[in-house]
Amino acid sequence: MSDSYQPKILGFLCNWCCYTAADSAGVGRYQYPPNLRVIRMMCTGRLDPSFPLEGLATGADAIFVGGCHPGECHYIDGNYHALVSASLVHEALDRLGVNRERFLIDWASAAEGPNFVKIITAFTKRVAALGPLGSSEGLDQAALRTRLAEAAEAVRGRKIRTGLINASREMMKGGDFSRKTVAGLVAEKCEKALNELFV
Amino acid sequence: MHTPVSTPSAPQTVGSVMVVGGGVAGVQAALDLTELGYKVHLVEKSGAIGGVMARLDKTFPTNDCSLCILAPKLVEAGRDPNIEILTLSELVDLTGEPGNFTATIRKQPRYIDEEVCTGCGQCTLYCLKQIGNDFNENLETSHAAHIDYSQAVPASYHIDPKACLKLNYDTCGLCAVACQAGAIRFDDKEKILSLQVGAVILAPGFGRISDEVMARYGLGQFQDVITAFEHERLMCASGPTGGEILRLSDRKHPKKIAFLQCIGSRDENCGNNYCSSVCCMYAIKQASLAREHDPECEITLFFMDIRTHGKGFDAARERAVREGNFRVIYARPPKVEDVFDGGLLLTWATEDGKHHNEKFDLVVLSQGLEAPDDAAGLARSAGIDLNPYLFAQTSTYTPLAASRPGVYVIGAFQGPKDIPDSVTQAGGAAALCAGQLVSGRGSETVTASFPDERDISAEEPRIGVFVCHCGINIGGVVKVPAVAEYARSLPGVVYATDNLYSCSQDTQKLLVETIHQHRLNRLVVAACTPRTHEPLFQATLREAGLNRSLFEMANIRDQCSWVHMHEPEAATEKAKDAVRMSVAKARYLTALEEQQLPVTPSALVVGGGLAGMTSALAIAEQGFEVTLVEREQELGGRTLLLTRDRFGNDPRTTIAELVSTIRQHPKIIVHTKAEIAAVSGYVGNFTTTVDTDKASVVVNHGVMLLATGGRPYQPSQYHYGESPKILTQLELEKKLAGKQPLAKAAKQVVMIQCVGSRGEDLAYCSRVCCGQALKNSLRLKNLRPDLGITVLYRDMRAYGFLEDNYRAAREAGVIFTRYQVEQKPEVIPDKGGAVRVRYHDPLLAETVELTADLLVLSVGIVPEDPTTLARMLKVPVTAKKFFLEAHVKLQPVDLPVDGTYVCGLAHSPRSMDETIAQAQAAAGRACHPLARGSITPAPIVSKVDPEKCIGCGACEAFCPYKAITIYKEDKSRKARTLTASCKGCGVCAARCPTMAIDMGRFTLEGIMAQIKAFGEGARQ
Repeated sequence: MSDSYQPKILGFLCNWCCYTAADSAGVGRYQYPPNLRVIRMMCTGRLDPSFPLEGLATGADAIFVGGCHPGECHYIDGNYHALVSASLVHEALDRLGVNRERFLIDWASAAEGPNFVKIITAFTKRVAALGPLGSSEGLDQAALRTRLAEAAEAVRGRKIRTGLINASREMMKGGDFSRKTVAGLVAEKCEKALNELFV
Repeated sequence: MHTPVSTPSAPQTVGSVMVVGGGVAGVQAALDLTELGYKVHLVEKSGAIGGVMARLDKTFPTNDCSLCILAPKLVEAGRDPNIEILTLSELVDLTGEPGNFTATIRKQPRYIDEEVCTGCGQCTLYCLKQIGNDFNENLETSHAAHIDYSQAVPASYHIDPKACLKLNYDTCGLCAVACQAGAIRFDDKEKILSLQVGAVILAPGFGRISDEVMARYGLGQFQDVITAFEHERLMCASGPTGGEILRLSDRKHPKKIAFLQCIGSRDENCGNNYCSSVCCMYAIKQASLAREHDPECEITLFFMDIRTHGKGFDAARERAVREGNFRVIYARPPKVEDVFDGGLLLTWATEDGKHHNEKFDLVVLSQGLEAPDDAAGLARSAGIDLNPYLFAQTSTYTPLAASRPGVYVIGAFQGPKDIPDSVTQAGGAAALCAGQLVSGRGSETVTASFPDERDISAEEPRIGVFVCHCGINIGGVVKVPAVAEYARSLPGVVYATDNLYSCSQDTQKLLVETIHQHRLNRLVVAACTPRTHEPLFQATLREAGLNRSLFEMANIRDQCSWVHMHEPEAATEKAKDAVRMSVAKARYLTALEEQQLPVTPSALVVGGGLAGMTSALAIAEQGFEVTLVEREQELGGRTLLLTRDRFGNDPRTTIAELVSTIRQHPKIIVHTKAEIAAVSGYVGNFTTTVDTDKASVVVNHGVMLLATGGRPYQPSQYHYGESPKILTQLELEKKLAGKQPLAKAAKQVVMIQCVGSRGEDLAYCSRVCCGQALKNSLRLKNLRPDLGITVLYRDMRAYGFLEDNYRAAREAGVIFTRYQVEQKPEVIPDKGGAVRVRYHDPLLAETVELTADLLVLSVGIVPEDPTTLARMLKVPVTAKKFFLEAHVKLQPVDLPVDGTYVCGLAHSPRSMDETIAQAQAAAGRACHPLARGSITPAPIVSKVDPEKCIGCGACEAFCPYKAITIYKEDKSRKARTLTASCKGCGVCAARCPTMAIDMGRFTLEGIMAQIKAFGEGARQ
């Protein structure tokens, strides 16, 4: 690990599952790479889609969002809404030409310290292999960060967010919370707004 | 099941309880009692509360920092206006009746006025008379004027009258000159206090094994033979060596350490025939920590049996042995010898009869737990009976009741036990006291008051940062002073420092002083985790006149020093980043309004077995309504499968009595053939739909207890089911209670332990099967003394007083033979109907075959599937399908979701008496919100900016709690939060199209500041 690139990873962890899992990894003295910095939230449902983009814009090489397993959200369905936000982030990254592997949303329950460690260790390794933001993409980092900041700003705009609301509504109605379905809904509902943004 | 509660003759029931002993059990009982509405007199023999747990470096099985999980409790006890702490005090007499006792307390003088002492330590500095530092096991010295330990509660000094020059020879008196506060009182006198109390809880802890017994192993003769307690202090950052394991002879790091078990336990020579229950696990812990201290040293542990029977203990042990590369030897070296060229010689014989000897650098004696030194005196004063080992006498069905009504006993005095079980018993005894004194509830308590909150809205951020060493937990990896130094450079920070333990009482005092002195208006503590320690610091904030929401924690232990133990540089950088991000967020913290929500004063208990019924009764006795839901037609659960307890009583009689009490209790509604169909709501306001075979019932309740139980493991191994001669222990129980318990011609019985358990199908130890095998062996031997019985086992886990049964069984001729997991017994059913058992006998070093007239399989315990309930309540379960408690040590019966609790086999395998104590504990904890009558949820609710809101209704549509609604104002539609229903998830904020919604403490500004602060570091 020491010879390879040391990526900067920003994590958003929900209080009830992933943050607790991270604590219990500590209590169990399970070791993992020291690249992750953590922002605690009560629920991944709080994740504004602009947060990950902002994180990448401001200096992260990768973003991790950790919540409760699907169906086990402490607040019933916050992690499904997080999936909606995450789909938008992936969509934006695709359009910016950023490797989508730089953004990961995954789950670990409060009882799964070792699982959290596994996820973070693997993610750190993958991102280290990608190198600094822009390098695996063949893009200029500074320019990319500027564009990411613009994307974050746009994601706080009404047009895209209305698309997300529609995607969320449909997701709740349909009851299919698979990543693929949610991503499809977000792509569909936000397409127009995204097209305007990423010309 | 309970001590009969006299009809509350209201006028004379005293609403206060005396707790004798200020260790973790006593302190927990005191805290639980004040939550339940009772005043507590906490009587402690020494100069400070904390007991043995305060002296431990870490606690098993998680190796969590011991003081860090204890200190918040001590601080809470110290600041609770309803707990009166009486130090240097002992109970000398107890007269009167349950509900109205008069307790006589003898309080020794401290010679330093507790009220006046500021804890500055000048007296110690000037004191000329050195004494041994008892807290550090006399491995260093202290002075006649001293404090027991620096995190002590009360944080006040006292003078040892046996040593003080002034008190003995009327010379010196320097401390009085040095004390700026003028707190020294040489004329202080012994006081006799008389207290009116309704009930008494005895929690005096345990005593030490005598020097004479320890001397047999060279203690006192060889410097490098040390006790486990000494080893514990050597490992501890606040210990005599600052956290270095050094040999006392040459101050060098030992390269070869041996741990000897069962010192003063399981030893007829010293009269302690019982097993001390905790030493196997604490030795594993100490070995793991020794490994952390020195990755190179050789570590050997000598066991008779490895008794790691607690929840998660086996897994922790196996991992520790594997990762720590320990050598585990089944042997009991009889003595320690010194050899001329240095080193300590151990000689031992292994089960195969071979003799071995080897030299070690350091020998640690895992000493057992004995009855407290003055057990007989205490028993006399309190008027209770002791058992032959001088522990308190209790019974299986009233495990927490001493022989005298109204007197309860918890912790190690009730029998040797670990911290979780002690904390559990504390909760149970508190519940029983609360039930007994229900008419006196609230009659003697006062409401805690805090100073008025300072309005800081117009102030610029003035942030204080406290970085915690957490002993060596953080400080041993992260460069803590450098982090504090760095914090000072951050914008908005006006003060930053580091502390050895940020959670101790002296630090809380310092925090309040610092807040006042520097006019801080926001506080950042970089330490362990907000999940366990935020409430403590928030209470301190309130004491300093600040709103509790002006607080932020940086997690630099659980998510930093503990997970990057071998990367101090990277960990330090990470800690700095975490502090910078927390400070950035803190700049945007604002004071938030608190709300109080009413609580439905009733409970719902799922499961009508021993655990569920016991907890239902304990809640009902406290005056709250209970709905008890049982899946089967009848109440009683699996206990009905047991036909005798180990004392020869029939548990079914007790269960029948309990069932009838429950059925007749005016406060308990029973639904049988019923299941939980749906649960909604939160602590204080749950709504549960119960489906019975007749109807669907909706129940409103404030709290919920899960006692869903377990069942016997269904074996498929050892040819079970192929022969009537092959039974489980429970089937044998049934047979033994029947008309023909044993075939006339039966000559040989074989029992096989750990069927299903310990890594077969179940990854854990089922805890009760060894005791059950012993009990049934003795029943068989009673029936027919000449019957041959062979028990094939891995470790006989006859912990505590069960060891008596183990010895009795051996004396009665039962043969015990250990088998290895890789060489299990083989069962061969013959066509003729005979069952042959083939196994390896380590003593004979050959394979032996027995024809068993009865083969009894000791099958493990499987929890009932918790998945559906766990999903409904959003509570976690372990990989082994037991409910996962909120904190193994601190909250052993609380689930992580507020207002939900667990007990019985749904928690982990346990015996009847343990189940009863745990169920009573869950009942006690569950009554906290009920007794309080209201809850104050964290003010992290959403807030709508009506200027930005366009009334689209997305928030209303997505809110999982219907906590946000659209209303009309001047023809325009706006959203509004119903703060009482809002749980603070933030989905509304993330989905709002105009960013009109923000969350308390997790604001957009705050999180953006955290992200930006992260970026500042990342870009470097």
